[in-house]
Amino acid sequence: MNPARLSGRMKTVSMADRTLKKEDLGKLIDSVRAKGGRFVAPALLARQVVFRSVKSAEEVATGYILARNSFKEFLFPQTEVIAEFSMNKDSVGLKGVEVDAPETVVFGARPCEAASLKGLRTLFTWDFVDEFYTKREDKTVVITVGCTSGDEACFCTTVDLSPESTEGADVYLRETEDNGYTVKGLTEKGKKFLDTHDAVFTSGAAKERPLFKPETVPAVDLKRVSERLKDRAHYDDPVWAKLTMKCIGCGACTFVCPTCRCFDITDEGTAFEGERRKNWDSCQYDAFTLHASGHNPREHQPQRWRNRFMCKFNFYPEKFSSKGCVGCGRCIRVCPVRLDITEVMQEFSK
Amino acid sequence: MENILRQKAKELLSSGEVKVVIGYGWNRAKTRTTPVFITDAADTDQLVWNPLCVNNLSVYLTRKFKDIQALGKPAIVAKGCDIRNIAVLISEAQIKREDVYIIGMACQGVVYKQELWQGELKPNIMPTKCHNCDVRDPHLSDFVAGEKADFTPPEEPVGMVFDKIRDLDSKSPSERWAFWVKEFSRCIKCYACRQVCSLCYCERCITEKNMPQWIETSAHPRGNLSWNLIRAMHLTGRCTFCGECERACPVNIPLNLVNQKMIMVVKDAFDFKSGYDEKAHPPMIVFSPDDKENFIK
Repeated sequence: MNPARLSGRMKTVSMADRTLKKEDLGKLIDSVRAKGGRFVAPALLARQVVFRSVKSAEEVATGYILARNSFKEFLFPQTEVIAEFSMNKDSVGLKGVEVDAPETVVFGARPCEAASLKGLRTLFTWDFVDEFYTKREDKTVVITVGCTSGDEACFCTTVDLSPESTEGADVYLRETEDNGYTVKGLTEKGKKFLDTHDAVFTSGAAKERPLFKPETVPAVDLKRVSERLKDRAHYDDPVWAKLTMKCIGCGACTFVCPTCRCFDITDEGTAFEGERRKNWDSCQYDAFTLHASGHNPREHQPQRWRNRFMCKFNFYPEKFSSKGCVGCGRCIRVCPVRLDITEVMQEFSK
Repeated sequence: MENILRQKAKELLSSGEVKVVIGYGWNRAKTRTTPVFITDAADTDQLVWNPLCVNNLSVYLTRKFKDIQALGKPAIVAKGCDIRNIAVLISEAQIKREDVYIIGMACQGVVYKQELWQGELKPNIMPTKCHNCDVRDPHLSDFVAGEKADFTPPEEPVGMVFDKIRDLDSKSPSERWAFWVKEFSRCIKCYACRQVCSLCYCERCITEKNMPQWIETSAHPRGNLSWNLIRAMHLTGRCTFCGECERACPVNIPLNLVNQKMIMVVKDAFDFKSGYDEKAHPPMIVFSPDDKENFIK
């Protein structure tokens, strides 16, 4: 990414519609909850900042870089019932389940993770409309806050995003020097949300804090990555093993990733009564592609890692014209063996 | 010490005695260590040794890592605590003693999590295991790098894990139950605890046995509880308290409490501590006429 182009764009985002004072965040939460909505925000849980449903402004964390989880779990829960079944001597009963889709406000998301929504939407409406996802997303207002801090795992600028990207967001906030926010409605949904809760907001100028823009990872060329991945020749390249042999095959990276969305269908209960569930799954598990025959097309961990990388930098962009990776860096932070996806991006930029 | 390590690794690879050295190297920014697999004597300068070398690399000796096994005989850079896991792997017939070259690292302790490192190893960033370590001079090694440590572990174990266990033990069963249900409720079933553990070497974990599904795979309270309990039971008498599962857990479940408690139970019941003698079998897989059996009432 050209740094000049980026800093040029940065100046364009300053025309805020409204301001939200620090002390008025509680009023916004009350206002949303009074209308029966759920207010999801980064809050402390077991010494971590995570997206949770909150009831008051006191619960909302400040000074965090990024929540441990992505907010995708409020649109695509880790486990959910999609049908119920029962069976007795005379009949078999199958019952669909209504989607539990409350009005939801996601507050304090980062611009990187909001950019994952396009890919999730495309996938869940690809050849079948998965209402368990779409109905929830339709009822969710995503409020992003431009980053004023980051760490060495952040790499949004390397995947053509930045702290002032607005992709996927309905409302965009910037922190102000007096701990409040400037507020800008972006989508129809976002503008309607601001109008609905208009009484909470104020107007007037406020001095915005400078944004934190991570440096781009050197020697990464996304076009080149994509080109190399399109060429099947890389498939058995020993470089996969060299870079990813240390992967222990846990699913932590995929579960914290805002764009990963693979799931498994499982039945729970007895033979006579039970429920069908949709649970998160991970391409990093050896049983993910295990066939009933016993054959496994991705038998080795480096092959499974290759698949995850292909999904992000080839399948998503090629098939859905959307981002497979938003550069939030969660996978790097959470990895028990510190496998860094940007090092693989560098290798495939050669 | 780093130089001694690199020199030894170079010798082993040059002579052909081992085909790969499993050790620690830097990440790109040199802010964190990460496992490295050195197969060329010319690359041994990549090896590093410092208090950020937290990973228990013995996991790479297990059959979960067929690609690494395929490289040939390994040498492994191991702290005393890591060697305890290797001893269990040997006692459980997962590897033969002669099939691995152990480079034991005399150790002054490591950080609990790498993110805590600010340039100095202070007691408050070290895990409980380091405060009570009795293997700072590594046992069972083919070669030891570094000087004998000037450290005697306290007679009564100290540290946060033991404090918390005492606290939990003083509570009623229903309070303890509530505590664990709450802690396990955060589990996201990523199985990082299992994957990072060198003693979780089953090729097919019980959670993957689905005809019938013994352990519910859903990350709901019932599924989370059954997963975490079954893992605790499967590690009882085997776990060495290396702490990798707690370190790897993305949602901060205090797994060290579970594992240390089970270690204390086994110590009481069988007077056994795992990982010191590679010839001794874990008590839960052997029958001994000397077993107390005082649980039969």
